[in-house]
Amino acid sequence: MALKRVLPLRTVVATSVGLALASSSFVAAVQVASFVAGDAAWLAILVAGVLCMLAALCFSELNGMLPSAAGLRLWLGRAFGSGVALTVSLLYMAVLTGIVGAESYVISHIMAAVLTFWSPAVWIVLMLAFVTLLNLRGVKLAGNFQDLVTYAVLCSLAVMAAAGLARGQGSLTTPLSPGSVDGFIRAVAVGIFLFVGFEWVAPLAEEVTEVRHISRGMLVAVGILSVGYALFTVAMTSLVPKELLVISSTPQVLFAERAFGAAGVAWMAALSLAASLKTFNAGLISVSRFMYATAREHALPSVFARLSYRYFTPWVAILTLFVVTVVLSLGVLWTGRYLVLVNMAAAIESVVYALVGLAVIFLRRKEPNLARPFFVPGGMIVPLVTVVVFGVLAVAVLVTDRRALLYLVLGLLLAAAYVRLVVPRLRERARRARLARRRQA
Amino acid sequence: MTKVASHDEISKSLKSFVEGYNRNAQLKAMNRDWNRTVLVQATDISSQHTLVLRDGELTLLEGTAGEADLTVTAGSDLLRDLFSGEITPTEPYLDGRLKVLGREEDIIRLDFISLMIWGE
Repeated sequence: MALKRVLPLRTVVATSVGLALASSSFVAAVQVASFVAGDAAWLAILVAGVLCMLAALCFSELNGMLPSAAGLRLWLGRAFGSGVALTVSLLYMAVLTGIVGAESYVISHIMAAVLTFWSPAVWIVLMLAFVTLLNLRGVKLAGNFQDLVTYAVLCSLAVMAAAGLARGQGSLTTPLSPGSVDGFIRAVAVGIFLFVGFEWVAPLAEEVTEVRHISRGMLVAVGILSVGYALFTVAMTSLVPKELLVISSTPQVLFAERAFGAAGVAWMAALSLAASLKTFNAGLISVSRFMYATAREHALPSVFARLSYRYFTPWVAILTLFVVTVVLSLGVLWTGRYLVLVNMAAAIESVVYALVGLAVIFLRRKEPNLARPFFVPGGMIVPLVTVVVFGVLAVAVLVTDRRALLYLVLGLLLAAAYVRLVVPRLRERARRARLARRRQA
Repeated sequence: MTKVASHDEISKSLKSFVEGYNRNAQLKAMNRDWNRTVLVQATDISSQHTLVLRDGELTLLEGTAGEADLTVTAGSDLLRDLFSGEITPTEPYLDGRLKVLGREEDIIRLDFISLMIWGE
């Protein structure tokens, strides 16, 4: 008996690209540009993309071996034990929630600049409420519609980049000389943020028409993102002075205004809105499903496992996230410290990629007989390089931003303490309740 | 508890799962529009069952029947314990002993059904 499979490669690529493409990506792209000389940001972005391809290969091996919607949690658990997997997953999900804060800061400023009748705070609440409502009702955008939106955004960005480059013809400054090695490493490290989320396509493994589409899709998506971001960033820095871009929370709008005037601003606002809503939606789905699954295994309070009887969505987890993201976003809006969230996301993503590389190495030794439909070629070279390179990149980000380092260390300690001290109590309580129910039955 | 369960033991626990489902009027009403075919297969013995959900009614068939929307694969002892409500599915799912393949929302719905029948 065969399983019904419906998703083509086109949808896998669109989903992977769509998950990574966010309004805050352009802020990160400008940060990348600030670490290198002249207009050489494209080099750092392409290197970050190639490195993400190494991580994509490792994800592909793990996903082929253990395909599951539980993804990372399952792979890390099999490699390093359930305690480590839960600790890392809790921290990762907390940082993903933080990305919503950074994203809402950027998009609310864009919307408030274009449609001036509402303040950024109102835009934040409205957008998050809209996505929460969609999630509560279990509304999913159809595959074809998602494809259409993602490819429309990509094409628009390509056209804008090409037009921008054409307008600034001949004004590229040292496009082949990125400057100091230290600066280049930091640029690549922050560049990892541009690709955050491409791997979340892995849980679709059992819905695709061919399992190999996942690995191919991730590689194609990272390739498209690399070229797209590289072109757009160079177009931005060639047309708008870097000093202006770096201090702006909406650099893409500055560029659009300089290149195409008011029409460009409206166009960019529409693109950014589409990208942000997709990011909010993906973040809310991923984190709420994680909370649901974690509560079902009694590692979070059982209230988070409550599902809507009508829509079969984890409504308590979704509403909790709504409150958390609104508070976080308003906090970011108030303090203006959105870059610390970008750096934390870049660092935790690098840590996760390094752990994924390590998991490939561990599982090859620990479970050599598990069938591997996709095997990373070249023996241990790719996973080893992935571990070392992403370990170095995580350090590079955290050395640059000590506040991000402090928050991540605190988060890690908190997550570890929770897993060690609170989770056993929750599980014991659940076990007793189960026994009591049995006795009653 | 034995390490390997027999096909009959799995059949028995699946029957109790189906009975538990069909006794629950609320579950039947909630799944009236959720027509799905679930293949349940053991990895260590030759044992396949099909759960067919049509218009809210759940039926159990021996062997396979058509194209599946979901496949539930695990060791025979785990399948027996899972469908009789001895254990919850989440922990074996997260450590890879239980494989449930299909669309994510279908997996959550199946988990919800087991939650409604057997409790947390």
